[in-house]
Amino acid sequence: MSEVITVVKRRGDFQKFGGESLVEEDEEGDVYMSDNEDGTYANRPQEKSVANSGMQIVTPGELVTDDPIWMRGHGTYFLDNMTYSSVAGTVSKVNRLLSVIPLKSRYSPETGDHVVGRVAEVGNKRWKVDIGGKQHAVLMLGSVNLPGGILRRKSESDELQMRSFLKEGDLLNAEVQSLFQDGSASLHTRSLKYGKLRDGQFCEVPSSLIVRSKNQTHNLPGNVTVVLGVNGFIWLRKTSKMDSARDAPSIGNASAAAKSGPTGAISLRSADDISITRLEEESSWQIYSDENDPSISNGIKKTICRYSNVIKALAFCEIGITQERIVNAYEASMVYSNVGSLIERDTMEAIGHDVLNGEKMRGLGN
Amino acid sequence: MSRLEIYSPEGLRLDGRRWNELRRFECSINTHAHAADGSSYLEQGNNKIITLVKGPQEPSNKSQVDTAKALLRVTVNLTKFSKSERSKSSHKNERRVLEMQTALVRTFNRNLMLHIYPRTLIDIEIHVLQQDGGIMGSLINGITLALIDAGIAMYDYISGVSVGLYDETPLLDTNTLEENAMSTVTLGVVGKSEKLSLLLVEDKIPLDRLESVLAIGIAGSHRIRDLMDKELRRRAEKRVASALAR
Amino acid sequence: MAKDIQISASESKFILEALRQNYRLDGRSFDQFRNVDISFGKEYGDVTVVMGGTKVQCRISSSITHPYEDRPFEGLFLISTESSPMAGPQFENGNNTGDEEVLCARIIEKAVRRSGALDIEGLCIVAGSKCWAIRADVHFLDCDGGFIDASCIAVMTALLHYKKPDITVLGDRITVHPVDEREPVSLGILHIPICVTFSFFNPQDTEENIKGDSNAEIAIIDATLREELLRDGTLTVTLNKNREVVQVSKAGGLPMDALSLMENCHKAYTIAEKTTDQILEELKKDEKKRNKYAEILSSENNRES
Repeated sequence: MSEVITVVKRRGDFQKFGGESLVEEDEEGDVYMSDNEDGTYANRPQEKSVANSGMQIVTPGELVTDDPIWMRGHGTYFLDNMTYSSVAGTVSKVNRLLSVIPLKSRYSPETGDHVVGRVAEVGNKRWKVDIGGKQHAVLMLGSVNLPGGILRRKSESDELQMRSFLKEGDLLNAEVQSLFQDGSASLHTRSLKYGKLRDGQFCEVPSSLIVRSKNQTHNLPGNVTVVLGVNGFIWLRKTSKMDSARDAPSIGNASAAAKSGPTGAISLRSADDISITRLEEESSWQIYSDENDPSISNGIKKTICRYSNVIKALAFCEIGITQERIVNAYEASMVYSNVGSLIERDTMEAIGHDVLNGEKMRGLGN
Repeated sequence: MSRLEIYSPEGLRLDGRRWNELRRFECSINTHAHAADGSSYLEQGNNKIITLVKGPQEPSNKSQVDTAKALLRVTVNLTKFSKSERSKSSHKNERRVLEMQTALVRTFNRNLMLHIYPRTLIDIEIHVLQQDGGIMGSLINGITLALIDAGIAMYDYISGVSVGLYDETPLLDTNTLEENAMSTVTLGVVGKSEKLSLLLVEDKIPLDRLESVLAIGIAGSHRIRDLMDKELRRRAEKRVASALAR
Repeated sequence: MAKDIQISASESKFILEALRQNYRLDGRSFDQFRNVDISFGKEYGDVTVVMGGTKVQCRISSSITHPYEDRPFEGLFLISTESSPMAGPQFENGNNTGDEEVLCARIIEKAVRRSGALDIEGLCIVAGSKCWAIRADVHFLDCDGGFIDASCIAVMTALLHYKKPDITVLGDRITVHPVDEREPVSLGILHIPICVTFSFFNPQDTEENIKGDSNAEIAIIDATLREELLRDGTLTVTLNKNREVVQVSKAGGLPMDALSLMENCHKAYTIAEKTTDQILEELKKDEKKRNKYAEILSSENNRES
């Protein structure tokens, strides 16, 4: 950018003295606001831009609307009738609720989210779990399955040996059970699909790239399972017996799960149903074991690495991450024999391009 | 030593600018996506500044917890190689740097919506790779960009610039040579308003000239705000476009 | 600086509400400076400034040392500010790295030292090898707000008051004449900077402050400790009688309209003018007092002047 940046004094209130010959610069902001004042509701400039791109981009301090009918949501503040944006992002209007969704921000948990986290601290009857949010989440001792079955009472000895279940640095997946007043989350792992993570690799992407779906755990080709934490933490592991068992009936239950709403509570329970017979054995100390499956072959490790790298490639291209895209990207990556070369800049871009192109082609095909 | 001609009779400055021209201003955001929640890289003339924003996050120290709002912390690292002569000290606990940090914290304390992030810490880390005058203004610009990149809610942009006064002519966006030769004023302006969050005068200036210096400083800050806004919108549009391409 | 002092919610509400209705707890108007009481010690350069409940002492001392290598023609001038628990429980002993302490020290430094209030070239004795080192030690004795303003007055008055021993230079030999042998000489003071601190309060919401155009922010001069604890922003302007702004420091805090900041600067000028006159007046009085004794003790005959 070599153009000269000349600044001309504004003729605001402050500018009391004359002197230099001034040319008032055409300022976007001013024009924008004046249009707002005299325009009718239908032909406001921002309404038009919404129609054009589907998204209205605003930056902090920008006037979003001067219409008092809107309720002000996150990412906004207001003075009298004027609603301003407090973040850079896109305007979202749901019914009467106006909010601005930042392009990027820390994960903010919502009840029912399936998240992957790392134990940061062992405290009094609770674990503090880093889920990449603004504050650590809390996992109460009472919200986990303990060895010896779900229906067992928590005893004092459990409190004393909390570190033998989960200790600092351990990874786990869990569901957000509820939110506290200040926005921090309380987790639970009261299902066999939650709990300590083993047999794989961790990978992190911006949380905004994870697309919420009714199921966050997917079995991928190549005997690999991915847990797409809504918080952007991803766990890739070798498909276990339980993983493969879960896949089969979940297809049959698809209609039931669809009815159950976004949290997928029904499908969760159905997952429990199949394993309830094995509850005793599964709930033994084994679920808190730190030992990886000794039978993981080098081939599977390589596949996990490849998946991890294609996820990084998708994240690099800022493409939302879904099971389908991971599989497509994985297939697109097969032309590169060296797994390590996948995180080279050009390769990542090529993979992202391939995935988007492939989707476009399929879209046209339909 | 010959005296430098700070401002020629033809109205040109040492680097060929006129009195009301800013230096080259380039910025980008999200430059350190893995290291921080928000990051920016800013070049304002020869000032080169990396800013990282981490947070809002769990405070590392329990004593830092404020139950009502987030705590803001700014660390300025003036690298030893940032000036043409390598400095011996690391500047770390110099009063000048401490003062800068305090001023920056206080500037942004008022402008961020800290009350919506209770019990958290927002850590801002600045690395000055190269400095060439008007550093305080550039730091403010870098922080504003990085905070917006991190998605932290704020009331408005804050943009900063320094203005010198040569005889009776205000010179916008001073570099080191100019800064050493005359007294300068640093401003931090809120958005497109005429409200000053930061105002620093470090040398003698006639009281009656101050007003004209502030006027051009405010206009310059508004221009910088526009330049930052342009870059942010460019990024945002790219982002939205790739999201729509799904 | 007063981080540890907590102010109760009801008290803070009371003070703020009073401010909103144009009252201050000590009955002053918003732009009224507290009365400055300057007293001198027995020796030259020992000054105590009392402003309301704030008490600051400044003591000047001098010695002969080497000048800095890169500045052979200049003497040394150092200002050190010391806060101790004596001034209030909020201060720690020997810890001067708190935000407020650093800002306070930096502002005094900028106002007095960097503005060239003291003629440091006049402190040179033999270029490159000998010069005077002047040291100003500022002690905070009691705290009720307005440290910067009081310290600045104290330092400047002390510098004006101080007299260093006379010297004679003969080639490389320097003779320092004791004070009782030869009349000591004053320092060269080029101008008298005066600091005036404004405290800002926001009577409305932050939204109104940022986006509104009512500009209803309250600015008061020379806040007391309580007001300092509650303020939203501060501005310190340093000026001298020549209508020169020496230093301005508004390090963040409540955003203020540029126009009202300019107004504040003009208000500060009248105060600076008044205070400067007062300082000179007090110095003259003190000088007279000292000379009275000198006259009595003098063995010289009275001369027609």
